[in-house]
Order: sequence, then structure tokens, then C-alpha cells
Amino acid sequence: MSSDVILVLVIGAALAFDFTNGFHDTANVVATSISTGAARPQVAIAAASLLNFAGAFISITVAATVANDVVDAAVITPTIVFAGLIGAIAWNLVTWYFGLPSSSSHALIGGVVGSAVAASGFQVVIAEGLLGKVLIPAVIAPLLAFVSAGASIGLAYRVVGRQRPGIVSRGFKYGQVVSGGMLALAHGTNDAQKTMGVITLALIANGSLAAGADPPTWVIAASALAIAGGTYSGGWRIIKTTGTRIIKMDAAQGFTSQGAGAAVILASTHFGFPLSTTHVINGGVMGAGAAKRLSAVRWGVARNIVVAWVLTLPAAALIGAVVYGVTNLFGSGAVGPVVVTVGALAAIGAAFARRAQRGAPVTVQSG
Amino acid sequence: MAIPVLAEIVETKDLVQTVVFAFVAGVGVTLIFSVAIWGAARFTDLTLEERRVAAVAAAGVAGLALLAVAAAVVIGVIVMTSK
Repeated sequence: MSSDVILVLVIGAALAFDFTNGFHDTANVVATSISTGAARPQVAIAAASLLNFAGAFISITVAATVANDVVDAAVITPTIVFAGLIGAIAWNLVTWYFGLPSSSSHALIGGVVGSAVAASGFQVVIAEGLLGKVLIPAVIAPLLAFVSAGASIGLAYRVVGRQRPGIVSRGFKYGQVVSGGMLALAHGTNDAQKTMGVITLALIANGSLAAGADPPTWVIAASALAIAGGTYSGGWRIIKTTGTRIIKMDAAQGFTSQGAGAAVILASTHFGFPLSTTHVINGGVMGAGAAKRLSAVRWGVARNIVVAWVLTLPAAALIGAVVYGVTNLFGSGAVGPVVVTVGALAAIGAAFARRAQRGAPVTVQSG
Repeated sequence: MAIPVLAEIVETKDLVQTVVFAFVAGVGVTLIFSVAIWGAARFTDLTLEERRVAAVAAAGVAGLALLAVAAAVVIGVIVMTSK
């Protein structure tokens, strides 16, 4: 009974995380379309939301990586997964509050690793999986998007450089409908799978699924709905950061950054690498800007984003470990997770109330 | 012996394939789509200059390039769903 209560809390927390992931991350997907004028904000966000939902159904390779290749599922308990999720949600909300594009994906993995280490020591971490499937791809992916977008925009300008700007701009804006759609689909497939993976891990830990099992259909559908709902609900602050504060983009740059981002995320998803859409799309945006003119990129903002990226894994891991410690104070039953859930909901409510009171959001200085 | 250990840990083949596929797809689709825009722009100019044969050829280039982009997108989604 107690473990079932914890499992329900884990699933609730995982879906809440998925919602915040959509809320926090997917704004990055539509930022370029909005800032270049390729799509109206409401249309771009609604389309991204629908494509996030669809994308969640097209692959489960990343879910398998999260469920089986990061921490040893045999020693994981639902309470550990719960603490990791709370760590990830807390970090997501902190970065949302300050308008920093961080990585929900790395927050999730960091949170779970941190709580698992706090519970069972470092031997619970599968170093090969964490390094080979998470950390190294995490470094390579944004660089790849940067280089790919830079090369793409160089070629695009070479091909269309002597044509009338009006036709070229209109053409790339039409193209952004497709590239933005592919990026939203890619986001849905890679990010929703992390939630599926975590819920699957909790189901395995609870004995409800066999080790190595794929996510059940209801898990896939619930994750798809949660991320799509989150996408539709928010993220305006981070749209501003990504879409206009890194560089002022033209439609060709928007198209190339989205195309490069979508290609990197889809290829990575195919091989089961859990990536951050935020990392990749920002890498693409910077690449498209830097290829045109290095000074076009506001490197101060880019530096703040990189700092947030670097902090994400250790910060979420630390919060996950602390949350596990607090949960553990109440014993191994359901009391700890219930107390933490109530505390987390109160903290979230206070953060939203404070934001509503202040009116204008806190902004990050570009330095 | 750090290098062999790292090579064992990292799934080099998958990583290299990811890099190659992503780069080729990202740059390739942009290049082909740029050719489509070039074709459309040339079609407009050549039509205004009343050079109909050249205009039709430019439109053909644009159409073929758009088909190629559409094919790349469809293939990408099929590959994604096939594993």
C-alpha cells in the first residue's frame, strides 16, 4: 500500500516535470519562428504543442536509455526516483524564475543520479551509460548544431545572396513552418521519452514491470499529453531570451538554426541519446548568427546560458540528494514523499504568487 | 590506458553516425531548400523579362528541390519510427 502511494506520487511528479519541461523548454522551439515573423505566437505555440504530442509516440529508444543505462535499476526504489524528480522540477523552476534557458533533460538525469547516489552510493551509477550516452553527447550536440547551422547559413547565403531579399525572406519564412514543425516533433520525441523512462524506472523499481521492459502505452500517452499541455501553457520569458537576445535573426538564420537543431535531435534520438533541446537550439542559433557576423551574437547572454548549462547536472543532483535526505528523515514509507510533495507545492505556489505580484519578470543581464 | 577505456565506454559508432547523419541532413536540406528559393526567385525575374523557357526551367529546379526537401523530411520521420 505504502509503495503504491509513493508510485502514484512518482507518476504525478514525473508528469508535473514533463509539464514544466514543455513549459520551460519548448518555448525555445518556437522562439526563432516568432522572432523572424514566420508565425504568430499563438499559432506557433499551438502547432508546437500538437507536434510535441505526436513526437512522443514515434520512438522509445531514449526512454530505454533513461530507464536502464544511467542508474542500476535493481537498487532503485520509487522514493529515489521521486526525490530525483523533485530535484529536477526545483531546478527547472529556479531557471524559469530567472529566465535562464537550462536543460530540463539534464536536470532530470542529474536529479535521479543525485538521489540515487545519496541513497546507495556512487556504485549505483552506470558510468558507461552516464558518460557515453548522456555527458559526451551533451557536449557534442550543441557544438554539432553550431557547426551545422553555421555551414548551412553560409551555403544558403551563397546560393540566394544575389536574389531579391523579399522573395528570399518569404521563402525562408515558409520554410520555417516545416523546420519549426520538425524541431517541435524532435523535441516531443526526445524530451517526452525522458519522462517515460523515469516512470518506467519507477514501475520496474516497484515490481510493476519486469527489468528492461518498454514503457507501457498509457505511460507514453500520459507523457505526450503532459509535455503538450506544458508547451501550450507558457514559456514566454524564455522565448524572449532565445529569440531576440542571443542574436537578431533573419528568416534564413531561423530556418537553418531550426533545421540543424531538428537534424541533431532526431539523429540523436534514433540512437537513444537523451539530449537537451534547449542546448541544441541555442547552439544552432549561435552558429547561424556567428557565421554571418561574430559580433551579431550577444556573447554575454550566450555566456550566461552556458553557465546555466554547466550548473544544471550538479545543481539538480545536489537538490535531488537533499530531497532524498529529507524524505528519508520520515522513514521508508509514504510519509516522507507526501511531506515533500506538500512542501514543493507550497514553494511552487509562493514562486508563482511572487512573480504575479512583481508583474514584469526578472531578467538576466547580458553582462 | 585512458584512451582505450574511454573508447570502450563511448559508443563511438553510434556517436559518429549521429554526427554524420545530423550534419548531412541539416546542411543538405538547407542547401536544397536554398536552391528551391533560388529557382522561385529566378522564375519571378525571368518571367518579368519574358524569358519563358528559362523561367520554366527555373520553376522546374524549384519544384524538384522542394520535392527533394519533402522526401528528406518523410525519410527522416520513417527512419525515426523504424527503430
